[in-house]
Amino acid sequence: MDLGLRYGAPKRSHGVPGRWRVLALVLTAALLAGVVWTRLAYWQVFEHAQLAAAAQAQYHELVELPAARGAIFDRNMKQLVVNTTVYSAFVSPDQIPDADRGRVAIALATVLGADAGKINQTLASSAKFAYIARRFSKDKADRLTKMLLPGVGLEQETQRAYLPGIANSSLAANLLGFVNYDGQGQYGIEGYYQKQLAGTPGYISSYRDLANREIVLGTHTHQDPVNGADVVLSLDADVQYQAEQALAAGVARDHAESGSVLIMDPNTGGIVAWADYPSYNANNFANTNPAAFLDNISSSVYEPGSTMKVVTLSGAINTGSITPDMVINDPGYLYVGGYRISDWDYRNHGNITYTYVLEHSLNVGAMKAMQAEGHSNFYNNLQGFGLTKPSGIDVAAEDTVAPPAAAQMADAQFATTAFGQGIDVNMVQMLSAVNVIANGGRYAPPHVVERIGTSLNPLLIAPQRQVISPAAAASMTAMMEQVVQNGSGFSSRVKGFEKDQAGKTGTSQIPVNGKYTLDVWASFVGFLPAQHPRFTMLVVIRKPHYPGSGQDWTLNDGYLTAAPIWQKIAQNMVVDWRITPDPK
Amino acid sequence: MRRRRTRGFVQVASATATERLRLNSFGHAYIAVGLLLGAILFYLVLAAQVTQASYDITHLQDQQRQLLAEQDQLRYQEVTMQAPATVEQQAAQTGMQRVPPAGYVASQPVAVDLEAPVGASPTDSTPLWERAVAALANKLGVSRDAMAATK
Repeated sequence: MDLGLRYGAPKRSHGVPGRWRVLALVLTAALLAGVVWTRLAYWQVFEHAQLAAAAQAQYHELVELPAARGAIFDRNMKQLVVNTTVYSAFVSPDQIPDADRGRVAIALATVLGADAGKINQTLASSAKFAYIARRFSKDKADRLTKMLLPGVGLEQETQRAYLPGIANSSLAANLLGFVNYDGQGQYGIEGYYQKQLAGTPGYISSYRDLANREIVLGTHTHQDPVNGADVVLSLDADVQYQAEQALAAGVARDHAESGSVLIMDPNTGGIVAWADYPSYNANNFANTNPAAFLDNISSSVYEPGSTMKVVTLSGAINTGSITPDMVINDPGYLYVGGYRISDWDYRNHGNITYTYVLEHSLNVGAMKAMQAEGHSNFYNNLQGFGLTKPSGIDVAAEDTVAPPAAAQMADAQFATTAFGQGIDVNMVQMLSAVNVIANGGRYAPPHVVERIGTSLNPLLIAPQRQVISPAAAASMTAMMEQVVQNGSGFSSRVKGFEKDQAGKTGTSQIPVNGKYTLDVWASFVGFLPAQHPRFTMLVVIRKPHYPGSGQDWTLNDGYLTAAPIWQKIAQNMVVDWRITPDPK
Repeated sequence: MRRRRTRGFVQVASATATERLRLNSFGHAYIAVGLLLGAILFYLVLAAQVTQASYDITHLQDQQRQLLAEQDQLRYQEVTMQAPATVEQQAAQTGMQRVPPAGYVASQPVAVDLEAPVGASPTDSTPLWERAVAALANKLGVSRDAMAATK
């Protein structure tokens, strides 16, 4: 009986044929494979860059090789700034077993002098990383290393160290500036020559093993750092220190707000000393009031007062408008532009010479000299002496206030400018201007740096411009000698050089809200020996309150406040530099 | 009668050895694997040495950093000791004081005529016996150079 069943061969289906099933299976497999391949392609092609970077981050390391910052030397190759290695201690609290926490805290507190309670708090926190102390010496770091404290690490850093100066300040702090924790020079030389001093850091690219140890010889690239250039200054560290000492004593004696001393090499324009008082300690800049960083020598301006008469009379002599022996009449005042402008003593001096004008610092004489040479020539002289534009000194943040154009200056402003009021200059500008007289009529560009690496500062070899004739400069020198011998400069006389030094006092009232007050800028500028000067020096004392000056403000004059400081520094320089008077 | 040719001992031994050394395909594979393992081993030894050298270099670099730090410290000490403030402080501690500048005594100028003719030298009034003793002392080398004491 046939039951309709067939054995041995599959029953042919009337539905989906078998080969379609296979095809469906293959397609399904291909689809699944495609999904996997697509995913693989996604990770390996599209995400390649990110994953490769993540992998590199795990085993590859790019270490910066810091460039050593250049040193700074004085003119005698005494090093003024040194790079030192300091250490910072950090902790990873999660890696310190509870049992060791007390021991670690006590050890850190003992070695670093930190507060044990605060350290305990830090160790008990859930922080992964915390600094305990920053920038301490190698001795302490060595002691910590020997203790093998768990979870405590040391970080090595470089820090600039500056020489000690007077009291709690560092030597020449306002001139040198400092380097902050990011390695950036701030203020002064450090700021101005940041690029040259800092150099260019290098790098090393290497791998690390599972234990985080560096494999130096792996596939790596290496770029050596280019160290910063050493810088040699025209500064004399010994003179600088003596200037700071004398200035501090003078400011204290005069009960002044502050003071500054600037000394220049007359022939080159190189700065020999740059002292401010009060100053600050550059080694402790982080805990210093930023106001102390301001340098009063180049970053603030003042009215030069009667020291400006040197410029006014020199220009007039140079144009032939006056001579030192020319006689004028000084009734004690002069009407200019509707204003009555008086001498400081309000006295009628009668017929006097221009030498007498300078000796006794008479405003009327200065105004008459300016009028004799004319506004145009006078303004040209201001330009020639460098008082209408920044001096260009290589110290960061020079500040100037340019006078208005000649056409915009009123008659009265010309008149007051002739004796140093109504014009703002910084000390570098003023000293450079007077130095023209000491340098035979030539303007020596002021600068502090003599050499950068092996290169000379271009200012040193640049030709100096002739501002006035050598004869005019010699005439003014003779007049300035008379100021010391017969006039207001008597208190600056240096023993042995009484007849061989040139100088001029200056005192100008400080304007506040457009009105002059009884506070003054007192100054003295001079050079020595007069005929062959070895240095030119300017001393400015701000707001002195000389005993008795409450009743008579002229007691704050430069001859009583600034000139004695000048004398003290000059006396020391004569000994240190072995200066002898000119043979007569 | 044809003489039967016989093989020598050497020939027989050589053939036997060749037979024994004939490698089958497994033998070749063993040799290849062996060479590969040897190469890997060599590479590993070399890599280990390179890695060890790198650790040594790192260690030496650490030492160099330490020495440079010490050098910086010493240089700072040296420079600080020469600083004017330190010198003055040390001088003060040893009792030294800054000498006030020398004074100059005013005096009448002395007229010296350098153009005047040089006159006759004054006669030497030293006794003869003293001159003889001095001459003898000089010859014996006990004389002092007067300039050496007035530097």
